[in-house]
Amino acid sequence: MIERIGKWFNQKVKNISYALGFFTNVLKESFLFVRQKQVGVKVLIMQIYFTGVEALSIISLIALALGVVIIIQGLSLLPSFGQGKLIYLIMIIIITRELGPMLCAFIIIARSGTAIATEIGNMVVNHEIEAYISVGINPISYLVVPRFFGVSITLVLLTFYFNFFGLFASFLISQLITPVAFTEYFQNLLQAMHLSDILSSLIKSLVFGIIISIVSAYNGFKVRFATTEIPQVVIKAVGQSFVICIIADAVIASIFYIIK
Amino acid sequence: MENLIELKDVSVLSQDYPMLLNVSVNIPRGRSTIIMGPSGCGKSTLLKVLAGIIIPDSGEVILEGQDYHTLSEKQIMDFKKRNGFVFQDSALWANKNVFENLSLPLRFHFPALDAARIEQKVKKALEYINLSDSVSLRPAQLSIGEQKMISFVRALINDPSIIFMDEPTLAVDNDMKAKLLSMIKKLKSGSSTIIAVIADSVITSMLADNLIILKSGIILAQGPYQEVIGSKNSEIKNIIKEILQKSSSYDQDLLDLLNE
Repeated sequence: MIERIGKWFNQKVKNISYALGFFTNVLKESFLFVRQKQVGVKVLIMQIYFTGVEALSIISLIALALGVVIIIQGLSLLPSFGQGKLIYLIMIIIITRELGPMLCAFIIIARSGTAIATEIGNMVVNHEIEAYISVGINPISYLVVPRFFGVSITLVLLTFYFNFFGLFASFLISQLITPVAFTEYFQNLLQAMHLSDILSSLIKSLVFGIIISIVSAYNGFKVRFATTEIPQVVIKAVGQSFVICIIADAVIASIFYIIK
Repeated sequence: MENLIELKDVSVLSQDYPMLLNVSVNIPRGRSTIIMGPSGCGKSTLLKVLAGIIIPDSGEVILEGQDYHTLSEKQIMDFKKRNGFVFQDSALWANKNVFENLSLPLRFHFPALDAARIEQKVKKALEYINLSDSVSLRPAQLSIGEQKMISFVRALINDPSIIFMDEPTLAVDNDMKAKLLSMIKKLKSGSSTIIAVIADSVITSMLADNLIILKSGIILAQGPYQEVIGSKNSEIKNIIKEILQKSSSYDQDLLDLLNE
């Protein structure tokens, strides 16, 4: 029993040190990325296209739906308490500060996180990673860093797009319920919005992007011999990304609360 | 004869199972060294350790007189630039077409080379193996034999002086085998160092200056081809006999053609 616990503990320590080593390596290679002769730029462009452009339709739809839900629920409830103006603050808190970055992160985990883990896992099984090493190309620098930059940058941009679209959609729907002038609506929104809301959204989306790209790539590289391992690492990548993003969200929210 | 690569007491473990156990090997520069042994004895692992693709769990890898761990990134890159690796299963990059598979090593190692020169070099290589029409195809669209040829050409595209080959003629038809062998013979007649895993005794006898016999991750014999092949050791004799019985494959016409 004690031996088994010892082995389990040893394995956990090994895994954590390997993950930390992987993370450090990605950071190191990221700093070198701009300086080095670049063959990875195309991979970066493809990653931004796949993560960002191809996800725009689903992001738009979710932002629109969320905006609709908030405005309908808010406008049907708050005015009865004489707190109609609170709807703007609620929208900023829910869309900009909380759900915007988180929902975008969830979409990117489902789309790009799974794709990264699957692609790298397949490359390991098919010895493509070894082929990169044999040529002298560092797989971290060529495969992980462009995905790291691609997912992180795109998630920030998508979150801002989500915020804008969600808030704009709310305006359109509000016209059907309680028509408000365009300038009045956005003036009220801007009054309810603080720099800390934008900063919080920016930091969260950036941190989520870093988490998703690194966790997915790390799990992809954990495949050893068989394609049957790939679905297992993809599930792990998704689960770990969700959990770490939610923890990071709580930590960032707490930090902003303390600073405030 | 100067040693290009030396392994001293090298062990490689896979999930605590020894793939190589205390292996010490000398690879002389400018000669052909063939690794032989029964299936699953660690031949491919040994080849990948020699090429710097797999880092051993223990022991020393000495490259041109210097410990691999003490080499600078530039020195390692210089070594990789001078070598080419043909994988047993081709290991072509599945998400790249044939042109990209062949041009990536060139773009990586020779950033000053302009696009027209790269295109010319790739086209010339494809013409030589009669696969000019396949330039925009993905590896999955090629036959196994064609993939092998592309993998071979990819390994030679940098004009390397050290060639690692893992069963280069496995699973290819006779026409392609003849083509591959004529290319290998051409390499041998130059000053290239060839290190290969070859199960076919006929090709081995044509190529080998030195022979390494491996069994269950342990070196049974190594040295000049004639010396090892004429060994009185019964275990070595049995292994060679076993390999001789399994090979080959080659009809006399083909061998005559190759020996012209």
